[in-house]
Amino acid sequence: MKPIPDKNILLFKSCLISTEYPGVESSTKYVFDKLGIEYTIDHDQSCCTGLGHYSDVFDQESTTLIAARNFDIAIKNNHPNIVTMCATCYAINKKAAKLLNNNEKIREEINTVFKECYVDRKYEVDSIDPTENIFHVVEIIYNKKDKLKDLIKIELSDDLKIATHHACHYCKVFYNDTIGGVRDPNILDKLVESCNLKTVGWFNEKRTTCGAGFRQRFVNKDLSMKVSSEKLISLKDVDILIHMCPNCHMQFDRYQPYIAKKTDNTFKTMHINIMQLIAMMMGADIEKVVGLQTHTIPVNIKAIKNEDKWKKINKAKEKLERKKDKKL
Amino acid sequence: MKVINLDETREKLSNKVLNNIKASHDLGLLRCVQCGMCTSVCPGAKHSNYNPRYMVEKVLENDEKIIENKDIWNCFYCYTCHSVCAVGNSPCEVNQILRQIAIDNGKEDEKLKYFASYGETFLDIGIGGMPKSFFMTLHEDIEGWLDFKAELEEIRKELSLGPIQMPQESIEEVRKLLNKMNFDKRVKRLKKEEKE
Repeated sequence: MKPIPDKNILLFKSCLISTEYPGVESSTKYVFDKLGIEYTIDHDQSCCTGLGHYSDVFDQESTTLIAARNFDIAIKNNHPNIVTMCATCYAINKKAAKLLNNNEKIREEINTVFKECYVDRKYEVDSIDPTENIFHVVEIIYNKKDKLKDLIKIELSDDLKIATHHACHYCKVFYNDTIGGVRDPNILDKLVESCNLKTVGWFNEKRTTCGAGFRQRFVNKDLSMKVSSEKLISLKDVDILIHMCPNCHMQFDRYQPYIAKKTDNTFKTMHINIMQLIAMMMGADIEKVVGLQTHTIPVNIKAIKNEDKWKKINKAKEKLERKKDKKL
Repeated sequence: MKVINLDETREKLSNKVLNNIKASHDLGLLRCVQCGMCTSVCPGAKHSNYNPRYMVEKVLENDEKIIENKDIWNCFYCYTCHSVCAVGNSPCEVNQILRQIAIDNGKEDEKLKYFASYGETFLDIGIGGMPKSFFMTLHEDIEGWLDFKAELEEIRKELSLGPIQMPQESIEEVRKLLNKMNFDKRVKRLKKEEKE
């Protein structure tokens, strides 16, 4: 596995996390703090261009220019390990770093733009390594999954069915760098297991895209919704679908009622980002940290039980250990 | 017998694709064996006439008509084809390049104009998000979406999060840089063709 950092991290702001599911950012910060991961957020960082880029509006040169500016910000901030909460930010930044390192022409073109605009920025070749400086947040947590187990305070009912949706732009674009499998993706399943929960594992539509398809959601809505509804229907008996990308999250959480109506189905699936789940399982405040109030499908937190029982178990354990210590 | 066209004054489409800035340096376009794995896993192919295997075949045959083929606009950019290709080709990447060539030729899908607002918002505030032109559709499709937008600032405060936007100085810097890259002209051109 590639080396995973736990410090000098720039938590990369995402447009869809900021404006649709801000609870993912507050949950990530909470979990990072609990795990002792050193990070910063830099408000000079711009959005990666991803939604515009994959809607064909941004050309590759402009997207790479924006990435080079954000890389310069990360390096000057002494936090060159870029960690994204969105799968598309991950793919956009990795592609840009590869281009800037391998393509002298574009690198020079961008450095000239900086110069001619009198902007004190530069991209030096290999200053950002696409594999060793750009990560998705799930990778940072995966590296700490053993420590994570000790921080889980909440217990959920055993009969909850949980499935995972592995974002395409994490798993499939730079597949040589993907942790936990590409054809049978499992990184989210492993993280769910670290929260003392089980997932349903493989299901037929596990690899299927969310269906947003960037432009498709807006100008080919029927096509987009067909793909999304197939996946939702395959998950009909699932209580929670775990996400790692705000665009996928939006496609399922925001459009589930629309799809239910159009296809004459009823769905019970709740949609939670993996960082929200982990923060929740660590006992974070639902309104002030996890931020479930921005979700369209209400997350029925009554499903979460036994918090007191869990605390009692821990107390009992502590007592036992104290007794042991006394005996020794 | 197949006649090979030796007119080398015109660059072959496959070369154009391989030399495009978007093409990965190890893109296996010329290694394509037309196995059709890409089409078998493609969500666009499953539900529309888009066929990534056919698209690659046309590129290899130097058939430039594929650039104006409307079906190529049904690719989801999910990279599923890219992740299973046995020879390291990426129909998804080829598709993105063909669309860019179509845009450069002024032959883009006419619906692309609606997305110009992505670029406008980015030039205005340095952030993308949902395109303005679709706010009303989102409001109609998603119950409570606009109401939630009105509460966003307050919710973010409750979550102890910083500002959504960059400081004004950075917004201006990003705009200046993008203008130098002629991105503003591109957005204007896409927008101008908004005929409605």
